[in-house]
Amino acid sequence: MKTKTLVIIISAVLAISLAASAILYFGGERKTAEIYVDGELLRSIDLAAVTETQTFTVETEEGANVIEVERGRIRVSDADCPDRVCVRSGWLSEGDIPIVCLPHGLVIRLSSGGEVDSVSR
Amino acid sequence: MSVKRIARDAVLTALALVIFAVELQIPPLTPVPGIKLGLANVVTVAALFLFGPWDAGAIMILRILLGGFFSSNPSAIIYSLAGGAFSFAALLLMRKIVNKKQIWAASTISAAFHNLGQICAAVLITRTPALFAYLPLLTAAGIIAGIVTGLAAQLAVNRIKKLP
Repeated sequence: MKTKTLVIIISAVLAISLAASAILYFGGERKTAEIYVDGELLRSIDLAAVTETQTFTVETEEGANVIEVERGRIRVSDADCPDRVCVRSGWLSEGDIPIVCLPHGLVIRLSSGGEVDSVSR
Repeated sequence: MSVKRIARDAVLTALALVIFAVELQIPPLTPVPGIKLGLANVVTVAALFLFGPWDAGAIMILRILLGGFFSSNPSAIIYSLAGGAFSFAALLLMRKIVNKKQIWAASTISAAFHNLGQICAAVLITRTPALFAYLPLLTAAGIIAGIVTGLAAQLAVNRIKKLP
């Protein structure tokens, strides 16, 4: 295969991937945070309705993640997993790229949310 | 299997493990799971083009399994194996279509497939398809890492070829 062809293919895939990443990362506002453990929805939080900072712990068979919620955003503030990638991911406030703690099977993602009954808290 | 071949592959496995262990000490560049340079794959790629698939495959699998013991996170072995299987399959295919000056390109495509394999493993293990949102990010990161390690492998193969 010609080197030029290879360079074009690789550049095209790289450009498409970067564009798609940007779209997913800045994918606009999402109101609901969903916390999954091993694919099961554990908790769904309306971030727009959060009035003060809340902290709670999600215990799984593999370990624990401390989750912090503020108005409009959510993060894993502490965890006892080996790599702590979830903690370093920081705050999640928009877009479609989830926070993930692979060792614990924990995923936090945002969704547009079906519930609209949220302003009451 | 000749003694020479066993000794050569063992030394290359040790080399790959040292590179892997040194890279473990470098803090992750990004908070995104799965993004790393993967310098140990220079050995896999070079071994494939110099010595063939059996030697390269054995070196890679041994490095992944033994590397799991050096790592603080042995559960990551399953992701390395999934990534290794995808990237090695891609590398074998690419070997059929590239020439000796395009080893870097084979490595680049292979690195992108490594990350695809890792995401598939993560989606299966966590049963959370939302993780596919990482695919574009990890494909881009794999291409960039693959170019760097691929150029290193290309240089290694060019130089070693000149040895008697």
